[in-house]
Amino acid sequence: MSSPLLIPRNRRKQGIYLSQVGNRLIAGLLFFTLSMVPAGCSFTPTGHFSQPPGIPAKAMVENVPFYAQDELQCGPASLAMALNWSGVDVKPSDLSPEVFTPGLKGSLQNSLIGSTRRHGRVAYPISGAGPLMTEISAGHPVIVLVNLAFSWYPQWHYAVVIGYDQVEEEIILHSGLTEAEVVSFWTFNNIWKRGDYWGLLVLPPNQLPALAEENKWIASVAGLEKTGQWEAAATGYATALERWNQSFIAWMGLGNSKYNLKELDSSADAFSRASQLQPENGLAYNNLANVLAEQGKLEEALTAAQRAVDLGGPFQDTFRQTLAEIKRMKKNKVE
Amino acid sequence: MLKKIMRPVALLLVVSFCLLNFNVPNAQAKMVGTDAVIAGQQAADQRAQVADFMAREDVKQIMTQYGVDPVEAQLRVDSLSNEELANLANSIDQLPAGGSAVGVIVGAALLVFIILLITDLVGLTHVFPFVNSQK
Repeated sequence: MSSPLLIPRNRRKQGIYLSQVGNRLIAGLLFFTLSMVPAGCSFTPTGHFSQPPGIPAKAMVENVPFYAQDELQCGPASLAMALNWSGVDVKPSDLSPEVFTPGLKGSLQNSLIGSTRRHGRVAYPISGAGPLMTEISAGHPVIVLVNLAFSWYPQWHYAVVIGYDQVEEEIILHSGLTEAEVVSFWTFNNIWKRGDYWGLLVLPPNQLPALAEENKWIASVAGLEKTGQWEAAATGYATALERWNQSFIAWMGLGNSKYNLKELDSSADAFSRASQLQPENGLAYNNLANVLAEQGKLEEALTAAQRAVDLGGPFQDTFRQTLAEIKRMKKNKVE
Repeated sequence: MLKKIMRPVALLLVVSFCLLNFNVPNAQAKMVGTDAVIAGQQAADQRAQVADFMAREDVKQIMTQYGVDPVEAQLRVDSLSNEELANLANSIDQLPAGGSAVGVIVGAALLVFIILLITDLVGLTHVFPFVNSQK
């Protein structure tokens, strides 16, 4: 039986059959691959990667350490690289409990964002090749989500982009087990497109993105409040106010952060500034009233609270509670 | 015996459910948080607050089912804004979870292996670090 010369008849038939399948398989694969290429993929790799104005032809972010990932741990590894660059001393293994979800065999984007905040850094999402290269040229590494394979066989993967080269048409990234891997624009565009061109900046709160948008930055800083990172949040709002000093929300955020840091004078100042910017909005008066009450300035607090209630709006229930509470405090003081 | 235990257990459950209700965010806060300032009208809506509370409980429970430590699941949920959380609660199963492994392809079928090898060579995909497309 074991001799190749003694193949029974039926086996020989099977062999022929298998080789036919093999031919068909190869033909099918070729057809499949060729039919894949034109589908939405341009052959001109520079299409998505044309150079945004005002940035150099090549750039590389120094000081981004590399961590080779463990099995399934590209999320913690990528985040550790970005956090280390931003000045937070953590290892991928420290971050794994914060971002990795065993049942999903991976890390969700929101978990990366939440973990960034828990370490006092601003998580600022970006999208697209132009912003990517602009941020790199400004010295900010970018975490990217790519799909290395196809939508029908997804291989989701996080990597950290640290450089680009417009002349060679290459992207440089820390990925998987490879430090400073070089990938062509063409390939990178293909895999990043399947990740919806999602990128994430991990920034110290005193450092704005190169393409900072006012509301987006402030919302990103507000995320720090969620994790009780009040010091970082205060810095983030102050940084916003250096550029956009008329931002009502940034003054409100600064007031709230200072309040939670028990810096009541600074908090009251910030809410006053906010109330001057939007005198028709009760929110600033309401929060100011609470701070003043805590400072023992009950008369001023009462005026501010009354003002908020008079202005009304969606938060009027809260405003009424504030007023009632201050009236109660005043009454207690008299007695 | 069982009856004897039932009463205190039931009582404990009632008490803990009562405590649970007090966790509805902002129900008692007189300061308006920055996230609520940003969300405006929506955040002031009581029903939206309850919906947010429920979404947080949902996501926490799903995370726990997916093997995340319960304390850690709470911390993860706390670190997100209402908007981010709603997004997560609606689609946690469909969201990409980046976790590409070094040996990810080992378990894949030969057919998939060959397809990906070819597409890697063309530069459409980038599954294998040892394949460097020359595009």
